[in-house]
Amino acid sequence: MGFSGNLDELKKTIIAGVIGFAVGALIMMVYGYDPISAYRALFNGAFGDLYGFSESLANATPLILTALTFAIGFRGGMFNIGAEGQLYLGACAGVTVSLFHLPFATGFALGLILAALAGAIWSLPVAILKATRGVHEVISTIMLNWISLFLAFYLVAEILVDPLRAEKTISIAEGARFPVMVPGTSLSYAIFISLGAAIIVYILLWRTVIGFDIRAMGYNPLATTYAGIERWKVILFVFITGGLTAGLAGAVHVMGRPPTYAIYSGMPSIRGLGFEGLAVAMIGRNHPIGIIISAIFFGGLMAGGRMMQLFAQVPLEMVRVVEGAVVLFLAIPELIRLFSFLRTMGTLHIFRSKRS
Amino acid sequence: MRGCSISKEESSLVEGKSDTILEGKGICKGFPGVWEHLILDHIDIDVRAGEIHTLLGENGAGKTVIANCLSGFYMLSEGQIYVKGKPVTLKSPRDGIRHGIGMVHQELALVKPFTVAENIALGLPTSDLTFPLPEVEDRVRELSEKYKLYIDPLARVEDLSAGEQQRAEIIKVLYHDPEILILDEPTSLISADAEHLFEALNSMAEMGYGILFITHKIKEALEIGNRVTVLRLGKSMGTRETAKTDKTELVKLMFGEHTPAHLERKPVGSKRVVLEVRNLEALAADEEPALQGVSFSIREGEILGFAGVSGNGQSELAEVITGLRRATKGEVIIHGKDYTNHNPRDIIRAGVSHVPEKRREVGVIEPMTVAENVVLKDIRVSPFSKGSFVNISRVTAHAKEIVSRFGALVSDLWKSQTRILSGGNIQRLILGRETWRMPKCIVAVYPTQGLDAKAIDHTWELFMRLREAGSSILIVSEDLDEIMALSDRIAVMSNGRIVGMFEGSKANREEIGLMIATGASGSEHSQ
Amino acid sequence: MNLGYLWGIFLGSLHAMVPITLTATGEVIGESSGLFNIGLEGIILLGAMTGALGAEVGGPIFGLLVGVVTGFAIGLVFGLVCTYFKGVQLIAGVGINLFAAGLVTFWLIDLGVPGHHAVAEKGQMVDISTPLGDFSPMILVALGLPVLIYFLLYRTKLGLKIRAVGENPQAADVAGIKIHLLRWLSTAAGASLAGLAGAYISIDWMGSVTKEISAGRGFIALATVVFSGLNPLLVLLGGFIFGFFDNLAVWVATMPAVQKVIPWQFVAMAPYVVTLLVVAGVIGRVRFPAAMGIPYERE
Repeated sequence: MGFSGNLDELKKTIIAGVIGFAVGALIMMVYGYDPISAYRALFNGAFGDLYGFSESLANATPLILTALTFAIGFRGGMFNIGAEGQLYLGACAGVTVSLFHLPFATGFALGLILAALAGAIWSLPVAILKATRGVHEVISTIMLNWISLFLAFYLVAEILVDPLRAEKTISIAEGARFPVMVPGTSLSYAIFISLGAAIIVYILLWRTVIGFDIRAMGYNPLATTYAGIERWKVILFVFITGGLTAGLAGAVHVMGRPPTYAIYSGMPSIRGLGFEGLAVAMIGRNHPIGIIISAIFFGGLMAGGRMMQLFAQVPLEMVRVVEGAVVLFLAIPELIRLFSFLRTMGTLHIFRSKRS
Repeated sequence: MRGCSISKEESSLVEGKSDTILEGKGICKGFPGVWEHLILDHIDIDVRAGEIHTLLGENGAGKTVIANCLSGFYMLSEGQIYVKGKPVTLKSPRDGIRHGIGMVHQELALVKPFTVAENIALGLPTSDLTFPLPEVEDRVRELSEKYKLYIDPLARVEDLSAGEQQRAEIIKVLYHDPEILILDEPTSLISADAEHLFEALNSMAEMGYGILFITHKIKEALEIGNRVTVLRLGKSMGTRETAKTDKTELVKLMFGEHTPAHLERKPVGSKRVVLEVRNLEALAADEEPALQGVSFSIREGEILGFAGVSGNGQSELAEVITGLRRATKGEVIIHGKDYTNHNPRDIIRAGVSHVPEKRREVGVIEPMTVAENVVLKDIRVSPFSKGSFVNISRVTAHAKEIVSRFGALVSDLWKSQTRILSGGNIQRLILGRETWRMPKCIVAVYPTQGLDAKAIDHTWELFMRLREAGSSILIVSEDLDEIMALSDRIAVMSNGRIVGMFEGSKANREEIGLMIATGASGSEHSQ
Repeated sequence: MNLGYLWGIFLGSLHAMVPITLTATGEVIGESSGLFNIGLEGIILLGAMTGALGAEVGGPIFGLLVGVVTGFAIGLVFGLVCTYFKGVQLIAGVGINLFAAGLVTFWLIDLGVPGHHAVAEKGQMVDISTPLGDFSPMILVALGLPVLIYFLLYRTKLGLKIRAVGENPQAADVAGIKIHLLRWLSTAAGASLAGLAGAYISIDWMGSVTKEISAGRGFIALATVVFSGLNPLLVLLGGFIFGFFDNLAVWVATMPAVQKVIPWQFVAMAPYVVTLLVVAGVIGRVRFPAAMGIPYERE
């Protein structure tokens, strides 16, 4: 695989990150918060101790998977933002298995498999509409995300509902849960599903023929046709694989996140994981290794965000503001050059003001 | 030639006027990384008021680049432009227009879904909230009438014929009252309408315009200009009074004096036909007919060269054979099997290699590494992949071999993106990839364009070796030397048809050159 | 079912069509110039927030203006990234959506009530009362604006220039048009209408701000643009169709009889299902500007 440019990618990400945090600080100041103490609380909360770090990893678990969904598509030149909707159905499928009383291993495996399949099936219309009708995946995935949201609402409220507590679904059967890794935290062994998926996607993209085809098509569809690669096959593969990981994301969340192991009505803990994954993927430069790092970082921000809320009274949504700004700046291809240009201007300015 | 005598009389009339309005001195232009030589090498050129100055040269000679430099589209690498004796720096086409230089591009700068009048209104300095269309329409009708370039201002550009679109473009430029008009290959789109255009241009010259007329057709150069400058491979071969030159001299200036050797070879031994094309028809990207009934066959160990100016269907022919473009009629038969409109994958599997025209856009995937591009087509087969997994070490070994055998300068197989390679090195890589298997059939389009002399020699040697080994090779080239040197048979293409077929060993260079340069059979018989 | 009832549905659909029509009309300007903004969803959201707060300070009209200014400002950022800086439009749009979602939620918490902010009475738009029912004056704006934009795009030289930079920037460059500047301002102008749409939702239609107030309308507006083939007059029709289904969900929620047969969740899906089907149906017939989505670079 090509490592060329990875250093530049890292540089670019760091620059965008710095700008993003600066934007966040600016906004906090506008609203009258102290950004320094907020960021200190944020980072301490995220990476300061074992508890914080475990929570960060726990948060990263589904994010890695939804980020992979986007990354596979992006590598193939497609903008697959369907992870959000596929994730809901994956979560529901994971819970569905617990409606039946299955022996331990069967229930566990079936939960994961069904969730992955649910995600894949939900991504099929996107692939088919794109390959046959030329419908842009941005529109079809967003619409399917909303349809999936209401479908999941229905499933949660009517089918999977806990007969004793109407505000949530039944809980995952105990045998089908991922064991907790660090007691007292939300971190379970589910993280290995995510890490494993990242490694598989890495191998898929850079060590297999279909991965080669995906990347080739992402870079240059015309040359891809010339080389004898069939476009529709790549499209189908990209969306199905993306659906599988997004579905799994739903499963690891409900089956691997203590203490609830259930979906609450309105799905507050699940909603947003898909879009968050999109940001994670972009900040990880759509590379599985980068995604793992950026997911842990963002999982950390989510965990630390609570501390920030607690100690600096800054609402944890500030984290997403920073994310948005970072992604916006990552859209600029020549960010590094632009930045060094601005820096030159800046130093000149400082230089001048010192002399005068 | 009827046109000849007329233009000679005219030129003597204008000879007296010699006030130069546009002059370029020592113009150089290079595109580093794309071309290995300077695309314009110290060109001097001038246009006088009231004259038509013809710029003649093969495609790739650098004619369009000069035009773009003189009209402000390109910045010069070196040299100076003077307008009426004053040095000027043109930074944009706007600057050109301000100095009275109007350019009619070969690829027309028109917004297709707009009407003619809308296209013109776009460039006017009127306020944004006005809608100057009624005035524009009147003025277009007026200009149409004055210069006999009839055009309906309300017609949508995309509904117009090529000739009409061109008239629209000329009117658009005339709307700004330029003093100098540069026309880049105006007849390439409108061979049938050329007479009409010439009349208009002649009358404009009489009105005092300076006109720079670019063409690759000798016939036109003799018919219309007062002076003619010949360009070859970015160098000026000199300027002649049109009245005092003739076909023979221009052909020599254009194609060079030396007679390139038809390379030594054994005669084609086999009678087995590898590639056969029957009555092929296809449309170009603009939905106009590009191929109009092309038939030929290539035997084992034979090189068939397609000569002709680009844009006469050669690219489309190569694309149809390799599965990248649909044939609307006819058949492509490879080894006796019908492969018409099969997908590129089937055709690759049938043993057809393709050295494409656009090497950066189609031939390689620029952001991928060199190693990946070397196996772009072969990665699907053993030993480069097994059970859908890529065998990295085999790919590396293979890429290393190809790169060294074909002399491509590459810093690192797995680290450097292919985009950083020069055009020549990319072509070496493509040639290596497409020929190392000693394929049964090779379709090579402009295989040596932009390469330096040494690389050209290597490529020719390569094709001769492949021929020895029994490959059937189809070469499309605008370089007559190349066609003459390599081909066992030479086909001349014009307007989507094969208009002449010659034995390579007996071919007469002048004859073929003339057929190409005059567009002989093509434009006159087909319309 | 009587006539009055149908009239009520019709009025409801008109109210629901306003944000989609406004946003789509704005996006028609942007896409005509060659920029594809998927950040509209976020712009609606932010417009709803700032508009509501503006209205509480200076009344509903002022609130709407604040929404417009908010949209314009974000449009300027998006446009700057995607023209002069040659940014990838889809990514920049996603960035804006994330940013807006975060900021609005943050803002709502900062206001004290997490997730929901009711617009104070004095900030709310007053409906026009007629014998035929009450309706918002913004309906008139939403019906009129597409016509105005149609004239701008198809009956002024500015419109010619905007469409030219989207269709053939090379030709426009030859004609001396400043491609980046025009695209930048076009997309910002378009975004300002999304900001207006957001302000309408909070100040007028819903009377409150929530973190999900945009509810995919930015994306439905994108689909409406596809449906319209960049013709603002067809945006009116598309806006009404989508508005009708949007309103349908609300209407069904008030009808226990229907609820028993079809769960509300399935009715709520209707606008999105319809959007998907319509887009799948019309695509291919629609022609977009040839240079849409491609950053312009002179050779």
